[in-house]
Amino acid sequence: MTGIETWSAGRLARVVSMLFVAVLFLLPIAGFVAMAFRSNDGVEAGEGGFLGLGDIAWSNVQYSWSQVNGFGPEGGLFSRWLMNSLVVAGGGAILAVVAALPAGYAMARLRFRARRAVLLITLVTMVMPNTVLVIPLFLEVNAVGAVGQLWPVALIMGFFPFGVYLSYIHYLTTMPRELVEAARLDGLGEVLVFWWIGLRISKQVVVLVAFFAFVANWTNFFLPLALLSSNQNNQTVSIGLQQLIGASPLFNPTVAAGLDVKLYMPQLALATFISMLPLLVVFLGAQRFLIRGETVGAVKG
Amino acid sequence: MATALMDKRSTSAPTAKPQRHRTKTSRPSETRGAWILLSPYVVLLLVGGIIPVGYAVKTALEKPPTPLDPSGGFGGVASFKTVFTDFRFLDTFQNVFATLAIWLPIMMIGIVGLALLIHASPGRFGSTMRFVYYIPGALAGIANLVLWVYLLNPAQSPIEGFWHAVGVDTIKQAVAAPGHLPFILTAMMFFQGVGSWIVVVNGGLNGISDETLEAAALDGANAWQLAWHVKLPIIRPWLGYAALMNLAYGFQLFLEPQLLDQVASNALPDQWTPTQLGYAFAFSNYNFPAAAAMSLILLVITLGIGLLIVFRSGLFGEDDS
Repeated sequence: MTGIETWSAGRLARVVSMLFVAVLFLLPIAGFVAMAFRSNDGVEAGEGGFLGLGDIAWSNVQYSWSQVNGFGPEGGLFSRWLMNSLVVAGGGAILAVVAALPAGYAMARLRFRARRAVLLITLVTMVMPNTVLVIPLFLEVNAVGAVGQLWPVALIMGFFPFGVYLSYIHYLTTMPRELVEAARLDGLGEVLVFWWIGLRISKQVVVLVAFFAFVANWTNFFLPLALLSSNQNNQTVSIGLQQLIGASPLFNPTVAAGLDVKLYMPQLALATFISMLPLLVVFLGAQRFLIRGETVGAVKG
Repeated sequence: MATALMDKRSTSAPTAKPQRHRTKTSRPSETRGAWILLSPYVVLLLVGGIIPVGYAVKTALEKPPTPLDPSGGFGGVASFKTVFTDFRFLDTFQNVFATLAIWLPIMMIGIVGLALLIHASPGRFGSTMRFVYYIPGALAGIANLVLWVYLLNPAQSPIEGFWHAVGVDTIKQAVAAPGHLPFILTAMMFFQGVGSWIVVVNGGLNGISDETLEAAALDGANAWQLAWHVKLPIIRPWLGYAALMNLAYGFQLFLEPQLLDQVASNALPDQWTPTQLGYAFAFSNYNFPAAAAMSLILLVITLGIGLLIVFRSGLFGEDDS
């Protein structure tokens, strides 16, 4: 039995296959990011060599941005969509935190009759795809005459059961029940115990809930599509990207012929790249907490 | 049904036994405090979950207004009949099943294989690889779609050679050739989703105690046997969870087929998935009762899958009581 040799052959196979998959994952992304820095002439002529990396230049970005941000009747629509996304995704994340923390605390540390029912509803809604409810949500918002406005979208995005579950696990594992008992003996009511003690140890879970909620809201497509399509000024960037694709001569020459701006692949890639930047920022900001919270966040949202 | 891993996690929670008798009888002040703390969440739960479902039930039971009879009114189960007898209804579910049949096995093999490889590589190399596999997941939703438009368009794709080799010259051909779509969706969803599931399953693997692994190694298990006979059985709840979550995810496919149709010059069927069909009922036909009925059908399916996950995956065992 040549133990050491078979071990190293196995190890070699493992490392090689892992690197192979990593290259498969990274190359398309590298080419796509490079695309955002290229010129359309270069793309059409097939210049730039490997992944088009030789074609990249800052001036291309400036030109592409002028086209992307020139979209719309008076231009500037893309920046507006970015702002709208910030408003609804950020507003939704704040609401999610405000609702999830006390709810998670109550379910983890207080005893009341409906506790198991609330927990069960939370778990089931957490594992259901949120797309399923979009049409009913549209009907609801339509009934109150608020289709095309941003606030219902932010409000609905604030409903984030995964955040409640994260908070529940957080208080279950970090806040000893003895601490709650002691505070009660000091004469604090239940809400004040949460306010003075529960919130003190919540930094980690605030970051986690806000991060996951923001990312989910920012990338949400179907809900803004159903609720905001009727109002071009109030769309989010995910719906906006769809409009840019629809206005590209690559896929819709007749529509694109009537537009001043020309949106080819470099422009679409740049718009997509810019739309990803806020996610990158929040990821870097939350990174420390994400790694520490890995065991808590073992369940996907 | 608590698993070994669930037990491990809940040991970190204080399960003070002496206090048990007290938990049986909830105090009025505790109940009142709980509801005050829950109230913001309950409001959002009502607005974002319960009221729309109730309203959808009501809408689904109405008659769609027509030019002859704009009033609507109670229509019984007519809308469900409209949906079930729609010529696209069965097709959309067949399409979803065809996609799931290809995607789910590949996804599960990818998740298990890569998570086990990472777990077998302790140290910096393993964690770097885990991060690399996670990166495509950051390109979620429409960003992933634009990336795939770049890959699928032979005119500029870095895999241009591949497309020409299989006789594809335009993105329309690539996407709309009969039978291509399930494979393209599989590639897109695998690329976008596998990384975060690797992190989840890897979390489960990291929960296995060193003693267990050492004991198996002392018994002479090699890396394969260790993975197959020790690690896989332990992470089974995670795999069941992943399979069911992805199954539920598959039923609500919308963005990818909808926008691929757009970039393929409308060469694909407009209503390829059940969610697209529901969207068409609402926003093309303005038949809200039928759209609500379609939503309720999907809701029942995904609710069923959701209940299976919660009760059978073993990941959501109760903390106490």
